[in-house]
Amino acid sequence: MDSLKEDLKKQIIEQLNLEDLTVADIADDALLFNDQGLGLDSIDALELIVLLEKYHGIQLTNPEEGKEAFKSVDTMAAYIRKRKAA
Amino acid sequence: MKVITAYCNLRADECLVNGEVVARRDAGSEDSWFKQIYRQQELAYPKFYKMDVLSQAGYLASEFIKRANPGIFEGYADDEIALVFANASSSAETDRRFMQSYQTGGSPSPSLFVYTLPNIVLGEIAILNKWYGENMFAVLPKFTPGFYLDYSEILLASGSRALLGGWLEVTAGSTYVFLFLVEQRESGTEFNNENLLHLSQTGSVAAY
Amino acid sequence: MGVCITGIGVVSAIGMSVNENLNALREGRTGIGPLHYLQGTKASLAGEVKASNDELRAALGVGTEYVSRTSLLGLQAAREAWGDNKRSGVIRTGLISATSVGGMDRSEVFYKDYLAQNNPDYQLLTTHDSGSTTERIAKELGITGYINTLSTACSSGVNAIMLGARLILQGTLDRVLVGGSDALSGFTIDGFRSLMIYDDQWCRPFDDSRAGLNLGEGAGFLLLEGEKSLELTGNSPICNVSGWANAADAYHQTASSPDGKGATLAIENAIRRAGIGLDQISYVNAHGTGTKNNDHSESVALQNVFGDRVPPFSSTKAFTGHTLAAAGAIEAVFSVLAIQHNLIFPNLNYRAPIAETGLVPATQLETGVEVHAVLSNSFGFGGNNSSLVLTKYE
Repeated sequence: MDSLKEDLKKQIIEQLNLEDLTVADIADDALLFNDQGLGLDSIDALELIVLLEKYHGIQLTNPEEGKEAFKSVDTMAAYIRKRKAA
Repeated sequence: MKVITAYCNLRADECLVNGEVVARRDAGSEDSWFKQIYRQQELAYPKFYKMDVLSQAGYLASEFIKRANPGIFEGYADDEIALVFANASSSAETDRRFMQSYQTGGSPSPSLFVYTLPNIVLGEIAILNKWYGENMFAVLPKFTPGFYLDYSEILLASGSRALLGGWLEVTAGSTYVFLFLVEQRESGTEFNNENLLHLSQTGSVAAY
Repeated sequence: MGVCITGIGVVSAIGMSVNENLNALREGRTGIGPLHYLQGTKASLAGEVKASNDELRAALGVGTEYVSRTSLLGLQAAREAWGDNKRSGVIRTGLISATSVGGMDRSEVFYKDYLAQNNPDYQLLTTHDSGSTTERIAKELGITGYINTLSTACSSGVNAIMLGARLILQGTLDRVLVGGSDALSGFTIDGFRSLMIYDDQWCRPFDDSRAGLNLGEGAGFLLLEGEKSLELTGNSPICNVSGWANAADAYHQTASSPDGKGATLAIENAIRRAGIGLDQISYVNAHGTGTKNNDHSESVALQNVFGDRVPPFSSTKAFTGHTLAAAGAIEAVFSVLAIQHNLIFPNLNYRAPIAETGLVPATQLETGVEVHAVLSNSFGFGGNNSSLVLTKYE
């Protein structure tokens, strides 16, 4: 099990107040912004930006940049690893 | 005549559609009551998880009315179904959670903030169904059939052909949700003070 | 005869009166700049009214300190629009005033002291309520018949005008002063910044590189009169309020739909109500906030309605900043000026069209055109979309 991805799921649930969801409800590759996935929207994207800074110390100033990074838990984890390695 | 063609009662531990129980609360489950219903009924609208309790209640009850009467909304244009909802405590439950989010969480949460108005539930139902008709949410001291009867007069005289009415009181201590659809029909359960009061009580005896 | 506009008043970042605003619009002079009066926010640019609260109070003869900036701005514009009109026992008169922040500017002063336990002045909170501005204006002008305060985000100003026009048409009122007022506050500036739609540079409505709005402050008021009132007051009509509509998007709680559905409905219905053809719209005063979302959605809506024959259009928000609940009223006053003086105002800070739509706004002041009918748009958060059609009085 990838602990970064598990942490991310917990953080998403916490940050977005999705307490009806559990970590098991979110697949690694579920499309976060798709209506069939988690159904998130532009307001939630702002929360994910806050999440990145709060839990991972990563600043993202342009909301457009987040579009690729926030596709799924997989892409978020990859983005965090890339930024940390840089 | 104006007729109540479908209704849903959502209570603390049971959910009834047209008077029939469709879901009962599992006291042993860790899931919230609304999540239990969502799961049991195999609904698929992930946005449900983002909604506040008021929106969840309105979503569930309106979906059940749709299910119980398949195709019921298809005879109407997208701006002919009016929504008239009311409750007594506005969005107080969500307001309180929002306050906690900045008092204990450090910063206010935009995703909670968008639900700190009671009429957001109307928006959620309109967004899901792509309805562009009239809508209003009133905060009243208590469930009053006259409010819906008066409003229906105005709405049905000015372009709306059906009315989805609702009383949605969801607080930490109680769940009292009643949604009903009013249409023009030759016969049926007449949309009047007595019937509305009676149907709003449906199930409350059986639950205890 | 319908509903006539017989008086207008405005205060904004580009001037304290109708004349000052008109001159700045003609000269292409923006009022957006570094904040001078409001301190403690992170915004580098905003459209501030160029007067302190003390100066406003002195000019208006308001003695009390327990008055919000929103009320002071509202009073300034309402007085100008009301002019020399008198209260009347015969003319049923109303007042509808819109606001989004109410007395938040004073509440912030209170709250700072409250948090610091620095002897907070609780009386400041008496100005917090949105209705306090409306009541102050009503009291000063002696309006007692019908008093209402609207708050529907950025469409508030147009909704106040729409409600007023309908009350006259239905015979509930003979005349009604309608408009909106909003002061800058830390609450709104930091709120829009947290949504990441506040541009730290000058806002660039309808430009491909637009990156958000600049907030502004101000107030706009218009005096609407029906036939009976006109007979008794003898006022000369300037324009007609001919069409209006409000429509929802059914898309999202805060964002506008990419297909501009609600905006399209509002524009179409307002023009239909005015009973004129699409080709008779001489100018569109767009909502044009400068956010990615609004300007794209509004452009799509304009194309939905007008096809490839979109009339000359511009957003005047690069002059004033986005004044929220006042915007619809201020821009209605600008639309009256466009008709009165046959002007099309330039869309400042524009360089390149939005890639998806390719629409090009008016970028120069145009003076050689006949402006007969103006469409003015105000689109609020959550798809509360309103459009207004004003036409030349004939």
